[in-house]
Amino acid sequence: MVFLMAKYGALDDVLVALADPTRRAVIRSLGAGPASVSQLAKSFPITLPSFMKHVHMLESSGLIETRKSGRVRTCTLNRDRLLLLDNWLDEQRALWEQRTDRLERLVTDHQENR
Amino acid sequence: MTTIDPRCDLTLERVIRAPRSTVWRAWTDPALLQRWWVPAPTIARIDRLEVQPGGAFVTRMSDDGRTFSAHTDSIFLVVEPQERLVFTNAIDSSWHPAAPAPVPMTAEIILREHPEGTDYRVVVRHGDPADRDRHEELGFFEGWGSVTNALAALAEGENAA
Repeated sequence: MVFLMAKYGALDDVLVALADPTRRAVIRSLGAGPASVSQLAKSFPITLPSFMKHVHMLESSGLIETRKSGRVRTCTLNRDRLLLLDNWLDEQRALWEQRTDRLERLVTDHQENR
Repeated sequence: MTTIDPRCDLTLERVIRAPRSTVWRAWTDPALLQRWWVPAPTIARIDRLEVQPGGAFVTRMSDDGRTFSAHTDSIFLVVEPQERLVFTNAIDSSWHPAAPAPVPMTAEIILREHPEGTDYRVVVRHGDPADRDRHEELGFFEGWGSVTNALAALAEGENAA
């Protein structure tokens, strides 16, 4: 259950990270493959320091990973993180299905016991 | 009043081979609810179960039977004996607006007569997870499902291109 909470925390981070047009555009470009921060930054009319803030936020949400090699920092999309979002409603469904299984078991046993 | 948004709501339908009154009791008697509310081996504790509109529905859970952590903190909105129960965690048991993780929900439990027992339906309506970010940009997040599909398609498609 603690695991669930941690996962929901991660989901929150993903949602917040995606709630910004610049960051979504970064995700979109990285869908095409890894790119360096300077390549990515060129497409946005903002300063490099502001752009770096977005990169850091994406990185701390786990949506992207970055690796520095020499003077070049390369960003890679972490697709598993996007799955967090996809899986969530399925999980809610499973939770209610299983809850109903247990209720059903209880009330039908109840019947037989009488 | 009872619309369903397929992007972030879920519905479940089942025929339970027990009378409606039994199913109702399993929901509204704390001793019974406690037996099925959370999956074993986790233990549920029903702290408050005031089955009336505005009444508290508070449960805690524990993995070891000693330390209990918060689980459900909600209120009943609608109570129609033997027929319908609606509760939400968007308002907590002290009637303070709440922001439960990851999104608030309203659960509606509907019991109807069925020749073999009870026609049991659950509708869980979820808050749009983008609600909290509405001030940032409304357009992109049209809904829970669409955003993930769009993003996945986008990421996959552009990857293939």
